Amino acid sequence: MADWKDFHQNEEEEGEQEEGDEEGGDYKITGRDSLVFLIDASKEMFIKGEDGEPSNFDMTMQCVRSVYTSKIISSHKDLVALVFYGTEQSKNPRNSFKHVYIYHDLDEPGAKRVQDVDALRGEKGAQLAAETMGSGETSLGDALWCCSNLYSDIKLRLSHKRLMIFTCRDQPHGCDSAKDRQARTKAGDLKETGVVIDLMHLLKPGGFDVSLFFCDIVSPPEDETELGLQVEPCGKLEDLKKRVRAKEQKKRAKARVTLCLGEGINVAVGIYATAVTLRKPFATKLDRQTNEPVRSKTRTFQTQTGSVLLPCALKKAQVYAKKQIVMENEEVVAMKKFDDPGIVLIGFKPMEKLKLHHHIRPSVFLYPEEDKVTGSACVFTALLKKCSERNVFALCRYTERRNQPPRFVALVPQREEADQAQIQVTPPGFNVIFLPFADDIRTLDIPHCPIASGVQVDKMKQIVSKLRFKYRNDAFENPVIQQHYRNLEALALDMMAPEDTEDLIMPKVDQMDRRLGPLVEEFKDLVYPANYNPEVKPAAKRKTADAGGGADKKPKVEMPEDELRAHVQNGTLTKLTVPVLKDACKQFGVRTTGTKKQELIDALVAKLGQ
Amino acid sequence: MARAAKAALVLCMDVGFSMSNSAPGEEPPFEQAKKVVQKFVQRQVFGECKDDLALVLFGTDATKNPLDQHDQYQNITVCRHLMLPDFELLDEIQNQIHPESQQADWLDALVVCMDVLQKETVGKKYDRLNIALLTDLSTQASPDQMDVVVENLKRDGITLQFFFPFPMEEDDSGGDWDRTGSSQPGTRKGLSREQQQGQEMVKHIMLGLDEEDGLDEIYTFRDAIEKLSMFKSIEKRPMAWPCQLTIGSSLSIRIVGYKAVTDEKLKKTWITVDAQSHQSHDVKRETVYCKDDDEESEVPRDNIIQGFRYGSDIVPFSKEDEEQMKYKHDGKCFAVLGFAKQNLVHRHQFMGTQALKVFAAKDDEHAGVALSALIQALDELQMVAIVRYAYDRRSNPQVGAAFPCIKPGKYQCLIYVQLPFMEDLHGRRFTFPSLENNKKFTPSETQLSAVDSLIDSMMLVEEDEKGEEHDTFKVHHIPNPAFQRHFQCLHHRAVTPDTPLPPVEPWLKAALERPGAVDARCQAPLAEMKKKFPLKEVEKKKQLKTSAQIFGKSSEEPDPKRAKAEEEEEEYNLADIAEGTVTSVGSVDPARDFRCLIKQKSRPFGEVCQQLTHRIEQLLGNKNTHYYMKCITCIQTFREQSVKVGNADLYNSYLQSLKTSIPNRGLQDFWDLLVQDAVTLISKDEVEGSTVSKDDANQFLVAEEKEEEAAAPVVEDTGDVDDLLDMM
Repeated sequence: MADWKDFHQNEEEEGEQEEGDEEGGDYKITGRDSLVFLIDASKEMFIKGEDGEPSNFDMTMQCVRSVYTSKIISSHKDLVALVFYGTEQSKNPRNSFKHVYIYHDLDEPGAKRVQDVDALRGEKGAQLAAETMGSGETSLGDALWCCSNLYSDIKLRLSHKRLMIFTCRDQPHGCDSAKDRQARTKAGDLKETGVVIDLMHLLKPGGFDVSLFFCDIVSPPEDETELGLQVEPCGKLEDLKKRVRAKEQKKRAKARVTLCLGEGINVAVGIYATAVTLRKPFATKLDRQTNEPVRSKTRTFQTQTGSVLLPCALKKAQVYAKKQIVMENEEVVAMKKFDDPGIVLIGFKPMEKLKLHHHIRPSVFLYPEEDKVTGSACVFTALLKKCSERNVFALCRYTERRNQPPRFVALVPQREEADQAQIQVTPPGFNVIFLPFADDIRTLDIPHCPIASGVQVDKMKQIVSKLRFKYRNDAFENPVIQQHYRNLEALALDMMAPEDTEDLIMPKVDQMDRRLGPLVEEFKDLVYPANYNPEVKPAAKRKTADAGGGADKKPKVEMPEDELRAHVQNGTLTKLTVPVLKDACKQFGVRTTGTKKQELIDALVAKLGQ
Repeated sequence: MARAAKAALVLCMDVGFSMSNSAPGEEPPFEQAKKVVQKFVQRQVFGECKDDLALVLFGTDATKNPLDQHDQYQNITVCRHLMLPDFELLDEIQNQIHPESQQADWLDALVVCMDVLQKETVGKKYDRLNIALLTDLSTQASPDQMDVVVENLKRDGITLQFFFPFPMEEDDSGGDWDRTGSSQPGTRKGLSREQQQGQEMVKHIMLGLDEEDGLDEIYTFRDAIEKLSMFKSIEKRPMAWPCQLTIGSSLSIRIVGYKAVTDEKLKKTWITVDAQSHQSHDVKRETVYCKDDDEESEVPRDNIIQGFRYGSDIVPFSKEDEEQMKYKHDGKCFAVLGFAKQNLVHRHQFMGTQALKVFAAKDDEHAGVALSALIQALDELQMVAIVRYAYDRRSNPQVGAAFPCIKPGKYQCLIYVQLPFMEDLHGRRFTFPSLENNKKFTPSETQLSAVDSLIDSMMLVEEDEKGEEHDTFKVHHIPNPAFQRHFQCLHHRAVTPDTPLPPVEPWLKAALERPGAVDARCQAPLAEMKKKFPLKEVEKKKQLKTSAQIFGKSSEEPDPKRAKAEEEEEEYNLADIAEGTVTSVGSVDPARDFRCLIKQKSRPFGEVCQQLTHRIEQLLGNKNTHYYMKCITCIQTFREQSVKVGNADLYNSYLQSLKTSIPNRGLQDFWDLLVQDAVTLISKDEVEGSTVSKDDANQFLVAEEKEEEAAAPVVEDTGDVDDLLDMM
């Protein structure tokens, strides 16, 4: 059984490490990511759309909330701040900036903060905002300055700093050019310190003209071809969320290695993990008295002498054929080394040689690192283009880290694609598919496979067509993780009960049945004989057939009552087999709910033991 | 669980004197045969194979076998009786098998082996009995017993394998076994009469046992060594996972799933032992918990509870509560959620570490038909089933895709792979700058054609004359090199304990490289590529500069020292910043940057001062109290550093010129602040080189009031910063 389980501890640990563990490349992450939401709180933001569409402010709050909660689950160490500008009231350190309201300082988001943001949503939220903050004069310069203070007050190292401005006003200061200038200067200062400023501009009657003012505020696009400024403002929550999501996270290479095409042709590439199995986090150990986290210290002792053993006083061993084979720790590590980290091109194969079921782990993504080796992007682009045109993949040998054995991988070309809104949906680069070795493939005894007839297949086709839907990879939440966080949220906020989670990977049976209508019965009539029930084991069925009809049950040897009572008295019921016990239960009219041996015995003892 | 198949094997090796003969430069057949035996036994030992093994030597000086009587069956030794192979046997092979000086009849040796198999298998059950005979056939064997031998082999169901130092000779009936490679060294055209005769006998025996494929079981030593070099890891019996595929509430199909492909790990893990005693029970690991404060006082185990992070909150959450509140489900399940187009489910989105093959339940014809209908329907519509999959009640449910897989004439099945959850993708939908639309990176036509010819030369799948495809590099036929290396090292250490580990075996190295033919073919196109695409490694130094130009990005730099620092200890530290991260005076904290730059001494003092004064002028331009405060800090720092360095001139002259410009620029508020903080000139008392006396310095701020009136006629606010700077 254990053979089948793929949730063993080792893997979990590996998954944990994956993000932090950058051994392979020379690229280290040494700080926290930070994100400041700078949100316009002017009256215009609260105007509701036609047909009861949510106001820009409401939409923004929903967006902020979704960022908060996803940060809590996926990257709780990131710092987030929520600041409003154009408010009547002011709230910032020493209140030195007027009309700037710091709702949340730059900090890790927690349960309380999610609740705070929730309170700002909807009709009531607008009211609350009006009461606490109000709408007043606007000085984006002050607001930006205030934000820059947020950054400088932080005592942690920040690796990535981003500031997102949400507004529906393209000329926040009207015609006050002094204020405009101040804002520009301040934005310049911020950008100079490495803060990336994005504009999430929202719908405005008459259109939002970025060129009037904001084009000087936001950070220039990553490269000349990037579309950078979205010309169209966001009108829909989904679009806004998408846009925020695209900007919100810094893409970060898992490793930077060389892709070696041949002697002396080394292309620098970054390796990105585009999907990593998120598991329920490990528990933190706390001190019962203070609820503070404790630190664990592990020491290794010599059992005989009680002295502490340093790593050098330890060795590793494995036993084969009763013989213990001992190695030094370093040898165990060095044994795994074949190559230095990197990707080595072996050759090319047509795409159809990539077998669908040859899957052993999630793929990673490859993109050139022009700033490490100039010319990389050009070779990479040429390779990508040609592989894609000729429908081939590159077969490579890939060593992820030092002292790690190689794996063969298929580099599958992926051309860039954008949606109607010009937002990139698939980035250009190679997907790296890990290929199995001979050891990873199991030989199966292929059972006999009957073939369905055309009529049967056609009926199934109708069923399939009825249940068609458009698959999106982000459509399914992990119910285990969601439940876990809802529980934590409930506990953290002293809620009576956790919010309900919808299990999205549960089949919506009723809907399916309704859609299918009579098709299921029709299909069953075509493939199953009248007396066939797939829910029961066929073993019983086969027996009937063998017995040649008539006698449907094996004559049972009933156990004499006194013999059974003797067993009960002597406590020897355990010697009997489960079927015998079951029969005995039936015989004495004992009703059991369980089918486990102990449950049956307990039931019998309860009945006969009196 | 089905009983694992078990076999009884006898290895029968010729150690007679002719086995030591070899052409100069060639490995004697004896050594080759010994290697075959050795590798084979190794494989059995590390595979933890349950097969029993016996070893019979012939051509030995001594005679030791149960059939030894009346001068029959001489010079044959049963070296090891039928039992599980172990390291003792490996030791014996390594140290006790030597070339000896006698010769023995190989047919006699075969009979001794048969005797071993017959007598020593009594009362045990084996699925297979096999004898492997390694000899050069140099001894005259008496053919009169041959037919009796064949009869007995047949009767007892014993199979035979022969290993020779040379390939079998071509012969009309020989069919296709020239693949043993006649061009190999070790081929000796001039086989002796005995050997030729021997070959005929072997053929006779093998064809007698199996008319069709009998000769397939004849190998050369060289082939055998190559094949046996591969350690075969323990074969795992696929476990059946019976379940029901459901579509809606009333349609279910009985299925059985098998793990078909998975990231296999070695089963055995390393145990930690004491370096001296080599005993694992001498080592004990102990974990203690302590408060996360300076005292690190220990917290008793009973006082430890568990909690989880919810963002910044840590929520105490007992195991019991967690168990009670956690997500629960109904267990085993393979339920269709719906059907989707195959092209929406991308290969690179597959998650998990395995692929399952799903068949209809065994011996259930109706389930087979129903599943076949589904498979064919999906295949024809180019669709997949999106399913909820749960292995059992204890394991987490997954969402995945079931693809149709049809091998015409062989089988049909569904292939299940896990797909991502929304959470798995969070923060990972990166956007990357466009490549093909970027003019800087657009490859030219000649560059593209260079890539084209590279691909041509490096195709691993080739068509032969008959139009048949040959894949010259099948990854799924290569053994995992990690396992191979692991066993190679273990074996080495077990047999020769005190020597360092050997290098990776050449065959394994070769198996991981580009095939020779492809490698030869691609050299010219590669050279062309090299010419067409200039690649230049960016110097480390420059890289440091680009990323450090902007102070804020400094933390992204590779910093090996920092790598191991705990994230909790990210405490901001001035000394760190000083380590080559600040390259210019920025506007956020100019004073700090200035200090760092001075400390670094990477730039001339004057230049750094100029940068600072430039910033101060910029900040003053804003005419805003916030900026004034910053400027004062800057000036204070400027003063403090100048005193430290012992250079008062730059500071003094800047402050003097600043003072004169105050009225013109309407900076009176600022000056008042400066006066308040008593930031004045650097006097002789502080720095020797200063031309300002202490009194002058004190007067500097006071005298200002009078001067103000004098300078009253206001000149236009030119905001001309350059004048001031030029004085520096």
